[in-house]
Amino acid sequence: MRKPRPDMPPAMFHHAHAAWQAHPVSRRRFLKGAGALASGLVLPWLPDGVQAADDTDEAAETVWQTIAAVQERLFPDDGNGPGARAIRASAYLQQAMRLPRFPKEEKTFLLQGPAWLNDLARQAHDADFPALSADRQEALLQRIARSQAGENWLSLLLLYIFEALLTAPVYGGNPDGIGWRWLEHDPGFPLPTAANTYDRILKK
Amino acid sequence: MNTDYDVVIVGSGAGAAPVAWMLARAGHDVLVLEKGPWLTEQDFCKDELACCRRSAYTPDLRDEQHVIEEPDGDGWQATPTSESGWDFWNGNVVGGSSNFMSGYFYRLKPMDFRLRSEFGPIEGANVADWPITYSELEPWYTLVEQVVGISGRVVQHPFLEPRSTPDFPHPPLDENIVSRWIDDACERLGWQALPTPRAILSRPAHDRNSCSYSIYCGSYGCSTGAKSSARAALLDQAVTTGRCHIRPHARVTRLISDARGRVVSAEYADRDGNRQRVRGKIFVVACQAIETARLLLSSPGPKHPHGLGNNRGQVGRNLLFSAGGSGQGTFLYRDRTPEEAEALRRRGPFVNRGLQDGYVFETPRLGRVKGGTIDFLFRHPNPVARANPLKRDDDGRLIWGSRLKRRLQQEFTQGRYLRYEVFCDWLPTDDCFVTLDPHVKDKWGMPVARVRVGYHPHDLRVGEVLSEKAKRVLREMGARDVYGGVSGSPPANLVAGGCRFGTDPAHAVLDPDCRVFDAPNLYVSDGSFMPTGGSVPYTWTIYANAFRVGQKIVDAI
Repeated sequence: MRKPRPDMPPAMFHHAHAAWQAHPVSRRRFLKGAGALASGLVLPWLPDGVQAADDTDEAAETVWQTIAAVQERLFPDDGNGPGARAIRASAYLQQAMRLPRFPKEEKTFLLQGPAWLNDLARQAHDADFPALSADRQEALLQRIARSQAGENWLSLLLLYIFEALLTAPVYGGNPDGIGWRWLEHDPGFPLPTAANTYDRILKK
Repeated sequence: MNTDYDVVIVGSGAGAAPVAWMLARAGHDVLVLEKGPWLTEQDFCKDELACCRRSAYTPDLRDEQHVIEEPDGDGWQATPTSESGWDFWNGNVVGGSSNFMSGYFYRLKPMDFRLRSEFGPIEGANVADWPITYSELEPWYTLVEQVVGISGRVVQHPFLEPRSTPDFPHPPLDENIVSRWIDDACERLGWQALPTPRAILSRPAHDRNSCSYSIYCGSYGCSTGAKSSARAALLDQAVTTGRCHIRPHARVTRLISDARGRVVSAEYADRDGNRQRVRGKIFVVACQAIETARLLLSSPGPKHPHGLGNNRGQVGRNLLFSAGGSGQGTFLYRDRTPEEAEALRRRGPFVNRGLQDGYVFETPRLGRVKGGTIDFLFRHPNPVARANPLKRDDDGRLIWGSRLKRRLQQEFTQGRYLRYEVFCDWLPTDDCFVTLDPHVKDKWGMPVARVRVGYHPHDLRVGEVLSEKAKRVLREMGARDVYGGVSGSPPANLVAGGCRFGTDPAHAVLDPDCRVFDAPNLYVSDGSFMPTGGSVPYTWTIYANAFRVGQKIVDAI
């Protein structure tokens, strides 16, 4: 295994007319730098007997409730712009995972997180993460952020919050361009429609 | 001779389309084999997921990848790109990566054709003069302006290339107020800011619409046809002749040659993975430098036991990228008058300014050296790419919650970010080349390209001087938070060389007409031919040379 390569500072991007800036640091590259790939993106602290759920499992509801609760902490409805719920962060992520080219290892990793987080929540407070007070939720997130895998998990969730906030509404987030309006961002034109989303382009 | 086509072209980008265009217009039957899909203006929109985050215009790296060898202590560390995520594909669709270029178009200068004679050898670099001169390529540069479409404005300056026409056929695109600030700052510094020519139509022409200033250009396919991609500018026209046929989803796996060394057919995998063969009188390879070298190396024959044109071990050597660096300065709206801030906010108009004062310079440390070009441009507007780095503080720790939201808001609404890029020669060395990987194969079972990406330290020394100059311009303009630097990391989208042209087969793969030595009916017409790359982006030169090669083939056929 080669030694992890730290993310390059922005000054080092010789992006050569946009391409490198448009593709900043790939997720995999980032994950590799963060050491997550070395552990195969498997949460080493996953309790025995707990299976990672996907969106067809019985446990899916708990998984997605937990992810939504974490997203709400990471991107709160605090009076300054839309929060995770308003940008449909959780629905966006569910849809994004169903589309092609969503990295498989990231999907597995993201969906494993809630079981672990709820296990920690029950140990500490006898309740699942979504049922905890905001302060307790925050403290738990601070705690998992101190482990490399926990940090990677939160970092990935943040990336997909940004996608929900700032990609075209046709992909399920950013309803009516609410994220763009908040950040005074001009998305350009034409925007993708249901007829030319990227999964359709991949079928051409 | 029993052939299906007069000319079979592998690849459809800036190195391929001019050949198809010339031959079809001259009445020859041409087949273009492109491994990607045939997308059109209707398929392109402003979709960050499509262009960049899910890379819908390039292969899934699990299916097709590269292995990159980077310097690691005294040795080299090879990493498959499916592991690193460092993508070396640039656009695998009809028209190739020219669909996604920004189109900053520069000619090489006469000195770039004779770098060795002009500046002498450099220890550790394989600098060589070109076998042709600027004056031989000049008419083809002009043809690109007219046929492919370049907008701009010629101004006199010490390094202006000789031109056979007084000015560009299309006027410059609209500019943001920041362009004037660059002009003023450079004037105060005693330098000359130059308008940057763009391969973008500023008014309708050639049955194509003009630019709609829809903000996203580089990395995006053009929805109006204004960007002068090989597809919009040339292939669409070539097809209307009835002589040019384009076969998308045709991934050429090897070229088959006979006992005389001539190529007789191209074997390709179709969309369903079935192998097909097509015969031709003449074959042209233009898959972009890395894949062109790979295809030749993957195509041994009775007269070419080590791959087509590789009897002297030259295929894949002296690969070039573009050396240099980049940086940025911030312009806050609150530092400006309301009118200036309003003008600065306007998103559509371009910056289109560059500096070439330092194309040759002299310092006590370096002596008189070949320098390069500085280009200014707004930071790429991709919002997810802008937002994601904000989740970490200066110490790399994650930030979330209200603090993160305030950071986002500040970053997106406080002002604009002007960047610069430095282009200087990536000196050809024995540490930058393409071979076939001994282990990793693509989904068709073919060995992938292994690319060693070593750079010459001279490149960084030259780049540093230009980078400092660019930062002075930003500071003179009143920018805040100016930073920048140089890097030996290769920009994957600016690649050339690997199949040098020259007069001596011992040191070149192609003759001066870009025909492969020992394979008399095989040409390479992409950027692979370049022995040195000049200190500018390559695309205009690739287009121009491909027209020149197209004419050579018309003459030879």
